[in-house]
Amino acid sequence: MNPQPPPVGGPKPRVSGLNCPNCGGSITLRALGQASSVVCEGCGSILDAKDPKLQIIQTFHRIVSSDPPLIPLGTRGKIRGTDYEVIGFERRTITVDLVEYHWHEYILFNPYKGFRYLTEYQGHWNDISICKELPSMSSSFNISPRVNYLGESYQHFQSADANTDFVLGEFPWQVRVGERASVTDYVHPPRVLSGEKMAGEVTWSIGEYIPGRDVWKAFNLPGSPPAAIGVYENEPSPFRANLKAVWIGFAALAFGLLVMMIGFDVFAMNSSVFQGAYRFTSGYPRAEASFVTNTFELGGRPSNVEVTTSTDLQNNWIYLNYALINQDTGQAWDFGREVSFYSGYDSDGSWTEGSRNAAIVVPSVPPGQYYLRIEPEADTVHPPVTYTVEVRRDVPVSSFYGIGFLALLIPAILITWRSASFEKSRWSESDHPHSPIIPEGS
Amino acid sequence: MTQPTATCPNCGAKIVFKWSSSVQTVCDYCKSVLVRTDIDLQVLGKVGDLPPDISPIQINAAGVYRNKSFVVIGRILYEYDQGGWNEWHLMMNDGGSGWLSDAQEEYGVSFSSKPSAGQALPGESQLEVGRELTWDGTTYTLSVITQAYFRGVEGELPFKFWDKSDMVFADLRSSSRKFATLDYSDAEPALYLGEFVEFEDLKLKNLRKFEGWS
Amino acid sequence: MFRQIYMLYGLLILATVGYAQYNGWSLDTMNQLKNVPKSVRDNPGSYRSVYSGYHHYTGGK
Repeated sequence: MNPQPPPVGGPKPRVSGLNCPNCGGSITLRALGQASSVVCEGCGSILDAKDPKLQIIQTFHRIVSSDPPLIPLGTRGKIRGTDYEVIGFERRTITVDLVEYHWHEYILFNPYKGFRYLTEYQGHWNDISICKELPSMSSSFNISPRVNYLGESYQHFQSADANTDFVLGEFPWQVRVGERASVTDYVHPPRVLSGEKMAGEVTWSIGEYIPGRDVWKAFNLPGSPPAAIGVYENEPSPFRANLKAVWIGFAALAFGLLVMMIGFDVFAMNSSVFQGAYRFTSGYPRAEASFVTNTFELGGRPSNVEVTTSTDLQNNWIYLNYALINQDTGQAWDFGREVSFYSGYDSDGSWTEGSRNAAIVVPSVPPGQYYLRIEPEADTVHPPVTYTVEVRRDVPVSSFYGIGFLALLIPAILITWRSASFEKSRWSESDHPHSPIIPEGS
Repeated sequence: MTQPTATCPNCGAKIVFKWSSSVQTVCDYCKSVLVRTDIDLQVLGKVGDLPPDISPIQINAAGVYRNKSFVVIGRILYEYDQGGWNEWHLMMNDGGSGWLSDAQEEYGVSFSSKPSAGQALPGESQLEVGRELTWDGTTYTLSVITQAYFRGVEGELPFKFWDKSDMVFADLRSSSRKFATLDYSDAEPALYLGEFVEFEDLKLKNLRKFEGWS
Repeated sequence: MFRQIYMLYGLLILATVGYAQYNGWSLDTMNQLKNVPKSVRDNPGSYRSVYSGYHHYTGGK
């Protein structure tokens, strides 16, 4: 009978407590042996995590206290349904046009799923993992305007050299403060494809924009996340998705408006119920200018009434007081119209001012027998004016449709403008601030 | 299925082969590396201490790859300047042999492949990053050339793997999840074709437990 | 989300335009009066209009 065989494999890993060879401070290893380097929080030395004696790889002057990680090391959170622990943190800087931009990277670890990364820049967060597939042009690290990855087209956003400022915790690679990498970002909001070339080796990672409050929720962090400043390279546009839909909606609504306009044009009565021709002369002594017309019938449903005045004015004006009076009910609408027309000839050519005709629309007039009381007015002495008055029942009012069209157009224009501003803001941070906005197809 | 059994020539312990085509195994008791010849088992040497196990995968773990179930029966441990990785030997349910590479929990399943007739594999000196090669209709780009060192073996392997010094591996990637590996550990380069998989796709059971993690 | 709000708004505009046209609304300003006596037909001068007395030279060269 054989005794129990010794257990398979090597010794079991645990979150081990070790001491820093430089300062003696205690080192916590959370990544269960997977990390390549670990940073001593006490003295800032980078140690070789694979070496049981934790040999010192590099020491650097700590400047951590001014910029601590927003998610403390050791915090666990759920990303995409899996629990991860924050085991490492670093701050990196790129310099563009003599301005320094810092961002932060958090190393997340799960013993089954491996490593994931969270980046944070001015309140914008991204959930990043290493690509399993190669993007379309990866073999050369030359910058091209577009790259394809997993069926989506990514646009070049920025290329720069990134410097690692300081590090905390554990890293799956041998990190060094001051190490430089060439980084190139291609965006297809909400995703970003990032290529990094360090020491000759190229790594591609794919990131997706994640709002700060989702990070806070995932890691159960107290308080609220820092406010996001500006528009980030792959921040999804709250407008883009709706833009096309709104313009299609506009087209449908404008078409509806057109149909309505044609419909009313066809079905409105637009009947001429009265016409009269008159002559206004300046008499001496001044006689009573007002007079009443014969009665006429306004039929149909309560609708509008258009009163048109057509004159033969020439360099003259006339003012007409109108009253549309219901013979039976005594209801009246009181309105006036000035008609003036002037023309001449000067050094620029011939000119005209005003119009010989005027029209006014009386609203919601109930059906019945009506007449007009007309009182013309003019200069005390004036040449005789001949004018005709026409009354039409139920006319289409084209200005409604004009106003309606504008009312439909304005929100569509507003949202287009806001979307354009958003994109302009996004691209202002890139290598191509004046690039035309390329529409995102699917 | 009857499993062939034998006796360890070093310590006399019972050796059970889970896979009929295994060529090499390691005695659980005395850690001797044993190779099957036509007649008996030969001792090649003894495996030293293995590094702490940090992979969730262990011998006897089981899973599924593309509707074929497998059991993990062996492993080769490699090391290189940035760390190490495991190649787990899989016994597929159709009797074949596969490999699950496990590097910092990036998983890939691959199988030994033969290039189509007439297509020669490049020699070690012909390797350069960026070079494109095509097998089975897929174009691969050479991404990394790694100088690796033999660190240890465990369990059953389909070939003899011992007394290795440094060897070169070429990793090739594609625009899909497919990858290829050129293995220069032997005189003749060997080709493995496979694809990267997500941890959950393998539906692994009987994994190593980690303190503090479910 | 914008789309739904916009469509709702647009339909409201269309409904308003249709209602306005059907009920004979007008954009012109005027005065409504009640109980105009029937005697105005015989004596139009007795009607006092809000707009009368408009002595206004409005221009021209």
